[in-house]
Amino acid sequence: MKKCFICLSLAAALVLSASAFAAGPMATAESTVGRVLEVLRNPDFKGPEAKKAKTEKLRVIYKDMFDEIEFSRRTLARNWNRFSPAERQEFVMLFEQVLEKAYLDKILDYSDEKIVFYQENMHSDKQAEILSKIVTSSKEIPIFYRMILKDGKWKVYDVVVENVSLVQNYRTQFNDILANNTPEQLLETLRKKVKGH
Amino acid sequence: MKTTGLVLTAAFFFLAAVCLCGSAIAQTQAGVSEASGSSSVASGASSDDPFTQDFDEDDYDDAADFHRDEKVTIADPLEPFNRAMGAFNDRMYFWVLKPVALGYNAVVPEPARISAKNFFDNLGFPARFLSCLLQTDFSGAATEAGRFAINTVWGLGGLLDPAGSEKLNLEKQDVDLGQTLGVYGVGHGFYLVWPVYGPSSPRDTLTNIGDHFLYPPSYIDPWYAWFAVWSYEKVNAASFHIGDYEAIKSAAIDPYVAIRDGYIQYRMKSVKARKEKSLLFRN
Repeated sequence: MKKCFICLSLAAALVLSASAFAAGPMATAESTVGRVLEVLRNPDFKGPEAKKAKTEKLRVIYKDMFDEIEFSRRTLARNWNRFSPAERQEFVMLFEQVLEKAYLDKILDYSDEKIVFYQENMHSDKQAEILSKIVTSSKEIPIFYRMILKDGKWKVYDVVVENVSLVQNYRTQFNDILANNTPEQLLETLRKKVKGH
Repeated sequence: MKTTGLVLTAAFFFLAAVCLCGSAIAQTQAGVSEASGSSSVASGASSDDPFTQDFDEDDYDDAADFHRDEKVTIADPLEPFNRAMGAFNDRMYFWVLKPVALGYNAVVPEPARISAKNFFDNLGFPARFLSCLLQTDFSGAATEAGRFAINTVWGLGGLLDPAGSEKLNLEKQDVDLGQTLGVYGVGHGFYLVWPVYGPSSPRDTLTNIGDHFLYPPSYIDPWYAWFAVWSYEKVNAASFHIGDYEAIKSAAIDPYVAIRDGYIQYRMKSVKARKEKSLLFRN
């Protein structure tokens, strides 16, 4: 009888602790990447329509995963202030399309490589770096996700591939371009890049 | 018996109450955050709209601190020359290296290519061993010596990498001479792009020169035999990375600046990582 009571209170404690536990940055990143892999591995998507269907599904997941405005702001840094609100809005949209074009094919190329999440570094209550790596037969590619807590949700604001931060890399490029050009000229370059290929 | 039942019912109600409370709390929290969200939108579309908010470095104090090490740039006084070399390397890649590597890929299966890579990696032992010693990373030097002995004897002269297996776990050390100077605190100087070798700097050029003298295949006698081995090694190495350069290029707004920045970031992190392993030069 006593045992029974102990068991039940234990169960109650478990329920309590479960409700108090919110998804941390590593769990968030891992589950999002898991969702991406699910789409990529889905055998229902076949034929020429597959790429479009997969892209649509992936877009939804990425919107959920990334804080694209934070990404753009950090990339432009002080240059952000030279853009008007309308220009900023267009920049965020164009930059997102540039990234999608650049990385989508790489992602769709995925063929069952192992992805391991192995460390969570909390830099503050609201900032974390999640370390993961892609393991193939000939190499290991380290990929780190930098995340920020916003409205109770962990969002990615920078991705570091093989020790190269994307935000930093684009910041250097935009800085270089904006040193001699106006924001409008940069937007025009981006528009052309999105249209091209 | 009766009491057990009573306890059970009580416990059931307790659990049910806990669950209800939990969801109620969650709901109120959601409600609060929703309310605060809507109020903030209502209170000023101008101040809280992310597109009208200016970038203020003070907002990023923690971020700047936490990524301070990344604020790296490099002087590029030879930019016109470097851009020309970059364009030359670009042609070399698309006209020569890539077609050859693709053909090679089609003929030689991956395990054989990995073995060839292991073989050349094993011959790079002297440069890595010396770099570890010069960086006062003695455990790294011991790891390299162990790897060389094991892989040469049990790895069929270096074709296999038994030392790197999960059981032995002797990983190849990511070291070179230019990086060793970096560990000593020597800066890059300026950016320099070499034909064929690609992104470099005066400091990192030492890597290429030192590697050459510490690398046994460099001493192959008739120059054309050396050139054949050297070319084969480049093609084999490239066979694992076809598509990487294209991806970097297509993702970049200005590929030249993107590669320059990527190179500097990569080298800086590797110097930093090695410093932590150094006995004398750790900060």
